[in-house]
Parts: sequence; C-alpha cells; structure tokens
Amino acid sequence: MKSDRFERWLQNIYTTQDEEISCSECFDAVSHFVEVELSGADAMVRMPKVKQHLDQCPACQQEYETLRDLGRLENEGGVPSADDLQDLIP
Amino acid sequence: MTDTRTNQDWLHDLNASGALQEAAIAELRDLLLRAALYFFSRNLGDFRGLNRDEVMQRAEDCAQDALIAVMDHLADFRGDSKFTTWAYKFSINMALMAARRERWKGVSLDELASSGESNFLEPAIQDHSERGAPEQSAMQGEVRKIIRDVIKHELTDKQQHVISMMVFNEVPLDEVVRHLGTNRNAVYKMLHDARRKIKGSLQARGFEVGEMLSLFGASR
Repeated sequence: MKSDRFERWLQNIYTTQDEEISCSECFDAVSHFVEVELSGADAMVRMPKVKQHLDQCPACQQEYETLRDLGRLENEGGVPSADDLQDLIP
Repeated sequence: MTDTRTNQDWLHDLNASGALQEAAIAELRDLLLRAALYFFSRNLGDFRGLNRDEVMQRAEDCAQDALIAVMDHLADFRGDSKFTTWAYKFSINMALMAARRERWKGVSLDELASSGESNFLEPAIQDHSERGAPEQSAMQGEVRKIIRDVIKHELTDKQQHVISMMVFNEVPLDEVVRHLGTNRNAVYKMLHDARRKIKGSLQARGFEVGEMLSLFGASR
C-alpha cells in the first residue's frame, strides 16, 4: 500500500464520526449543498454532515465536484452543448 | 441553450400533458445528456477501447435512465436548489456508475480481493521505508500492528473483504456494490463501522489518530 494512500486512510479513520449520513442522504442533500456553496455561503459550516460524508466517500465526492462545476457553468452562461461536449471525445 | 425556466415552470411543464410536457421533457433530456457527457469528457480514461459512437451511446443511455429517475422523483424536489442542479445529479450518478463499470469490466474482483486478503495484513500496511528516527519507526510499526490486529480479529469477513477491495485495491464503491449485489448505503456502513473500530482501538491504546498523521507524515 502506497504511503499516500495509507495516510489518506489514516485521515479517514481520524475524522470518523460516531454518526455519519448515508450515501442516499448525501445524494438527497448534495444539490442544496452545491447551491449554498455557489451562493457564496459556507456550505461546510451550514451542512457539516454532508461535508463530512463527502470527505469519506470518493464516489459521492466525485459526483459533488461534477455537480458543482456544472452549477458554475450554468451561472456563467450555460453548460456546453451536447455537440460541443461530444467533440471532446476522441 | 440557456435555461430560462424557473423551478415552478419546470414542475408545471413536466407535470403537464401534451406538447407542453413533451417540450419540457425534450429540454430536460438534453440537459441530462450534457451532464453525462460532461462527466465522461473528464473521465475519458475509463473508456479506453471504446470509440466515440460507443461512448455517445453510453451517455444517451445514462441520460435516458436519469430522465426516468427524475420523472419518478419529481415529488421529492423540495426547491432548495435550482431544478436543473437537482436533476443533474441523477445523470452524474448514472454516468459515474457507467464509467466505473467500463473501467473495471473484465476484472475479477473475487480474485483481486482474495489476493489482497492473502497479503494485505502484512505488506500492504508496511511499505513505508523506515526513514524516521528509531523511536518514530517503532511507533509507526506499533500503529500498523494495531490496525492489522483490528482488521484481522475484530472485523467481520465481509468487512475485511470490503476493506481489501476498496482500501487496499482501490476498487470504486459502485463496483464493490455491484460485486456484492448490495447498495451504496450498505457498503458505506460496513466501512464506517470498520473505521470506528480501528479508531476506537487506536485511541484505547493511547494513540490519538491526529498525532499518528503527523507521525507518518513526518517520516517523509
């Protein structure tokens, strides 16, 4: 096991809480979390359980990051068209 | 196309009938396709071996499945985000699962996990070269031994199996879910319970995990 992965896992162990929300609960809340973040408010403070789950769960974290980026694109004028995105696929 | 519908517009039109509903569904499907393609475009490594048409077909499938999921869950939308943000997450979820499935197809998780189980208790946690001071190295060794002992003696076979796959072999959550025929919540809970036991055992033996992080981080 590589040392960085081991340290990441130690970090996960260290930040483990007795009660953590499930992936389903995170899924339900993540769009609100993104909206709060994009509004400029501190989503981590307002929704700490969601933040804690995202730190522990790489799958939910990746979904969150993609959702946040799409939200930013929308706020900046729109997500690229399907044709434009298709052009990025080799 | 810039979305000009309000949340109320979306709900009204998607719940309408006839041409109004058809137009809203077509617009929504296009947005869901964009979300899937956006995810795919950032994870092209998962699709090595597929041509563009095949990738596009995966994206179309994700958009269609996401559309069905959104329509099934319309009543759950609470209005605490933009409707499109809420809808995108269904497509992103489908896209992530499709990408992981593509990347891991042909890999036997049974073999991977069993090979991991045969060795993860020993070298997997030990590959740090002992570059710190002797006392620091001794403490690192003790921490690893505690973790090994907890995994070996206090975790269930299933928890060990999941840790072997996810922590030591970096198998993505959704592939473990598929392999075990369960759901994300169940696998997450298994990992959570395992983390709690390891954390508790380390603390019971006098190791504050925060100190351990600096202990290991300081060795580099």
